[in-house]
Amino acid sequence: MKRHMKKTLAALCCLAVAIGAFSGCGQSQGAPAESEPASAPPAASGQAPEPESETAAGGEITVMLPPWAEPSPELLQEFTDESGIKVILNVVGWDDIRNKISIASVGQAAVADVVEVDWSWVGEFGAAGWMEPLDVDAAVQESMPPISSFIYDDQVLAVPYSNDFRIAFYNKEHFEAAGVTEPPATWDEVIEDVKKVKEAGICEYPLSLILSATEPTTNTMLWLTNAKYGPFFNDDMSVNHDNVLNTLNFVNGLVNVDKLVDPASLNMKDTEVDGKMMANSSSFMVAAIAYNERLDDPEQSQVVDKTDPILVPGSEAVRSATFALPEGLGIPKYAVNKEAGKKFIDWYTSPETQIKLYGEQGNIPTSNVALEKMMEEGTLKDGETVIEQTTYISSPFPGGIPEWYSEMSNAVYNNVNQMVQGSITPEQALAGIEDKVNELRG
Amino acid sequence: MKKKRNVLPYAMLIPGSVLMIALVFYPIIVTFYYSLQHMKLTAPQDNRFVGLQNYQKILSDSSFWYSLQNSMVILVVVVVLTAVVGLAIALLLNVDSKLNGVLTAIAIIPWALPPIVNGVMWRWIFHPSFGFLNRLLLRLDLVEQPVQWLNSRWSIMLIASLVVAWRNIPFCAVVTLSSLQAIPRQIYESAVIDGSGTWQTFKHITLPLLVPSFGIVLTSTSINAINVFDEIVSLSGYGDMSKNLMIDAYLRTFSFLDYGVGSALTYIIMILAGILGLIYIRNVYREVSYL
Repeated sequence: MKRHMKKTLAALCCLAVAIGAFSGCGQSQGAPAESEPASAPPAASGQAPEPESETAAGGEITVMLPPWAEPSPELLQEFTDESGIKVILNVVGWDDIRNKISIASVGQAAVADVVEVDWSWVGEFGAAGWMEPLDVDAAVQESMPPISSFIYDDQVLAVPYSNDFRIAFYNKEHFEAAGVTEPPATWDEVIEDVKKVKEAGICEYPLSLILSATEPTTNTMLWLTNAKYGPFFNDDMSVNHDNVLNTLNFVNGLVNVDKLVDPASLNMKDTEVDGKMMANSSSFMVAAIAYNERLDDPEQSQVVDKTDPILVPGSEAVRSATFALPEGLGIPKYAVNKEAGKKFIDWYTSPETQIKLYGEQGNIPTSNVALEKMMEEGTLKDGETVIEQTTYISSPFPGGIPEWYSEMSNAVYNNVNQMVQGSITPEQALAGIEDKVNELRG
Repeated sequence: MKKKRNVLPYAMLIPGSVLMIALVFYPIIVTFYYSLQHMKLTAPQDNRFVGLQNYQKILSDSSFWYSLQNSMVILVVVVVLTAVVGLAIALLLNVDSKLNGVLTAIAIIPWALPPIVNGVMWRWIFHPSFGFLNRLLLRLDLVEQPVQWLNSRWSIMLIASLVVAWRNIPFCAVVTLSSLQAIPRQIYESAVIDGSGTWQTFKHITLPLLVPSFGIVLTSTSINAINVFDEIVSLSGYGDMSKNLMIDAYLRTFSFLDYGVGSALTYIIMILAGILGLIYIRNVYREVSYL
């Protein structure tokens, strides 16, 4: 009897394991089905069953956002009053959102009806087919230039809400104390000026530069190469050998020869490096436009009214250059309430809401209509400089954001970090970046 | 009546078995299946069976050997530190004192901390700019500039090992202490009567009797050291310089979205941890002889 029971139990266990494994294997791994835009009726066919419940009028939706995109309860209530749709906010650290979306998508589920989409995720998400293409009016697209960063294969995967781009900041007090009266316009002038600040003993490491083995270091390389020497990538997406090598040598010199950059930056988070200026221990940085508000916020900054934004310095060949790092909102392919989600995105990215969000969170609007209105009303801080800088925005990726962005970025920031640590030379760092990019390009 | 008695034990096994099947066997089998596939999430149309190619790819990748080297360094340092300091603390706590209960409770605190909290706490100690240790050294005029603790591979490995050991030492100390207290006093009394000195008693009685529990503790510590993730990420992020096998697997799977290669690497880590687990199980049943 015992033997019989054991055999039966073992057989049941094996059967359960086998069923489980087969059900796992049986999951669709093929290409995702073509999707219709979110405003159109859900596709009738596809490998995964389309969600049945759709809450077009009224109901409830879930929205996953990073902390800086969270609207106030009052603002959110305006949307609910307008549409009858209740919004459940899920505020999550930016770093975690990408993984949550990808893991849920693999399991043919959605983490929320509306999710944050960073510009750098578009290539991957587009190739994997994880986002619902959005039907965005041509006039709206026209008035929202950063939307181009969210177009994959001629389809809009997200609508930008934050017009983040890099702009330069300098500490007027430090510069004046060192005898510098004019803000720098080129990188040669920047180096000359910050050397004076250092020699005058005003600031030991006057230049802030993000150089840790993290994603923002890739951004540093992209904007710095673009601003000082020209494009990082050639038209065929190969690495521009001369421009990148020049940038690597330049960065290495700043850290290891001129000692203008704090060696602690090699292992500090981007917010800690940028925070050095707010703590009055740095004189010059190129950072997110959001710092234009933060540097003058007495609750966060020790240099209120002591800094000014200026155009990212250029060189003889480049007047000024920057690139946008916009963030948008999109709808996952497997979201349940796509129609209601689209209504939320339309409301959230409308010029009126963007102006209100600028007041609440300091996110620069992506809509030209909103920007023009703010300029007219004088509510955009340092408006002229900000608007002028936007005219120099260009994408570092000539063929759109590649689906291998993460691996490329990993190679860039690791090689740069190891170079400034002294483990490898600029030539070796370049070789490491080039080899990886060539491998990824196939 | 007899029949009921026979069925009951098997029925009691069902909930546990279901959980094991769902949470252990199923993921193991599915991960193995994935590891035999070319499965890049950004190229879903290109999924195909590739046999052992993913394993081949990993084993021929210098990045894997670099990560393995880092994992091994952490493993060795953590095991040595945990064994030596854990034993020393256990011996100290074994001395009869009214403070023993309090001291034991204090010693357990690091063990109770979640790894991520442990990592963040130590990051603030070794922070390159405003860390506690740098502040202390600067204030004592022992250094002129903040020390860049986390800017070289070996110093990060050493600090990560220290942090992991700090979390594991209490477990080692408590288990060793309970083994020490389980040794019958009569054995020591006989040894004293036979003229044995302190060192001889420790070497020939205490140590041999501690071997089984020590084996368990060190094997468990080794598995923890192989699986360390949170502490390294808290200290130095996901950078290549400090990455171990776990971080390598995380990057390949979740950052590069290559589930095929990531699953193969996960399997390799599982085999390594499995070997240590085997040693653990063998130690549990080990017989001890002492003289």
